[in-house]
Amino acid sequence: MSEEHSQAQAAATDGYHFLIHRLHSLTGLIPIGVFLMMHLFTNASVLAPGPAGMEYQKSVERIHALGPLLVPVEIVGIFLPLLFHSIIGFMIIYTGKSNTQHYRYGGNIRYSFQRWTGVIAFFFIMYHVWQLHWVGQPFRGGSFRLYNESGGPAAAVTTAEAIKAAWWVAPVYAVGILASVYHLSNGIWTSLITWGITIRPRSQQMAGYVCAGFGVILSLIGLGALRGFKTFEVGSGAVQTAESLQEATHH
Amino acid sequence: MATATHGHSKHPHEEHAHANGRKFTVRVLRQEMAHSGSHWETFELPHEEGMNITTVLQRIAANPVTTDHEQTTPVAYDACCLEEVCGACTMVINGRVRQGCSALVHKLLEESPTGIELRPMTKFHVVRDLVVDRSPMFQHLKRIKAWVRVDGYHDVGPGPRISPKEQEEAYPLSRCMTCGCCLEACPQFNDRSPFIGPAAISQAILFNPHPTGRVDRDDRLAVLAGQGGIVDCGNSQNCVKVCPKDIPLTDSIAKAGRDTTIYKIRKWFGR
Repeated sequence: MSEEHSQAQAAATDGYHFLIHRLHSLTGLIPIGVFLMMHLFTNASVLAPGPAGMEYQKSVERIHALGPLLVPVEIVGIFLPLLFHSIIGFMIIYTGKSNTQHYRYGGNIRYSFQRWTGVIAFFFIMYHVWQLHWVGQPFRGGSFRLYNESGGPAAAVTTAEAIKAAWWVAPVYAVGILASVYHLSNGIWTSLITWGITIRPRSQQMAGYVCAGFGVILSLIGLGALRGFKTFEVGSGAVQTAESLQEATHH
Repeated sequence: MATATHGHSKHPHEEHAHANGRKFTVRVLRQEMAHSGSHWETFELPHEEGMNITTVLQRIAANPVTTDHEQTTPVAYDACCLEEVCGACTMVINGRVRQGCSALVHKLLEESPTGIELRPMTKFHVVRDLVVDRSPMFQHLKRIKAWVRVDGYHDVGPGPRISPKEQEEAYPLSRCMTCGCCLEACPQFNDRSPFIGPAAISQAILFNPHPTGRVDRDDRLAVLAGQGGIVDCGNSQNCVKVCPKDIPLTDSIAKAGRDTTIYKIRKWFGR
């Protein structure tokens, strides 16, 4: 009897353990995973043909069309899920003890990589948000501007300036992007197991190919965008963009 | 397999020297008792044809002298079935967990020509030398009710029929011998994690669909959905790689993930 009672009691408190881990899995996919994809796609629009940075400017303006709603959307939709996913992620890392030196299986190496890339992505995102997002402004960061002082488009210029601020910024971004993309791609693969969608080794293998392909494509998009900003001509291109955009809006 | 394990105590080494007399070294991590410190001891033995680790430990016991010519005690070890069905002789051999009885010396020397290294499993408390206390595994089996309930010992007639398809699903899972390989290789099974490990999860998946075992289905799922249950798995999938019985442990883990989610949603709606 007492055993049943204690079991029922344990089950009651255990409920959150399950829920927290399932939410950790879910937040990684939605909204964080979806956000990462959208973010990298938006960035890649810097590579679009036409006046330099124009398409990127338009993409960012579309996001900022939310106006004052953008802040709560960012906090509830991105920052809080990211914070939750990170805290639980660090707790999960603490409960694991890597043993890849003795068991060099692909799955085991991916397991360790998932943890390492999670940590790298976490610190990279901290740096990235400080450097570009307005929340970094009180700490001498937050250099991204949608418009310059004269009201011209500045999204691509300010991003490119940040990427070119020092020789090591672009490599740091490359590592951060690759870590984030790996973490998402492998996370999709494990989440399919976690939620019991891929059960047999064969289906897990097929899902592995799909996730790997997804990761490669998303990496190319992310690195392509990075290269786009690294090679962005800050001088004449930006002025041209400003003029052409003003013309476009006036007509 | 191992020949002449009895009645040749006089000169066991010389007798088999002609079979494959090449000498090899065996390093053993010794520990006198549960809480004492550990140290390495090295022995040298001539190779015998078909020699396995159990034979090696028997030869050491017959002549417990280290390579430093020091007289020592025989190495304590567990062994029972000698045919890889009981799991008693599970230990870490050349850095990888496996059974001593089915680990053949000539194959181990191919892996590691410098010699063989034996140590107890690291995820369980050492009793002495290579003997560990695997009772946590049995506690896990009790927690997930890894059994089919019977009302008594009287004849209750034939049991419910199980289709050949269900039997095919169940049989591989029933081969588990609770040896501990999956737990030893699992990065999520350690003293910082409450994880019960793949073996117990797989047993829950074995008994849940069973016509009689089904009675305790929700109790098992409640444990799997709780602290140390399925969500503490990290999907490294080492378990299925090291399992000596080729049990589809990762299939069981994925099924447990699916079944616990459905169970929790069902509970949430009060059913």
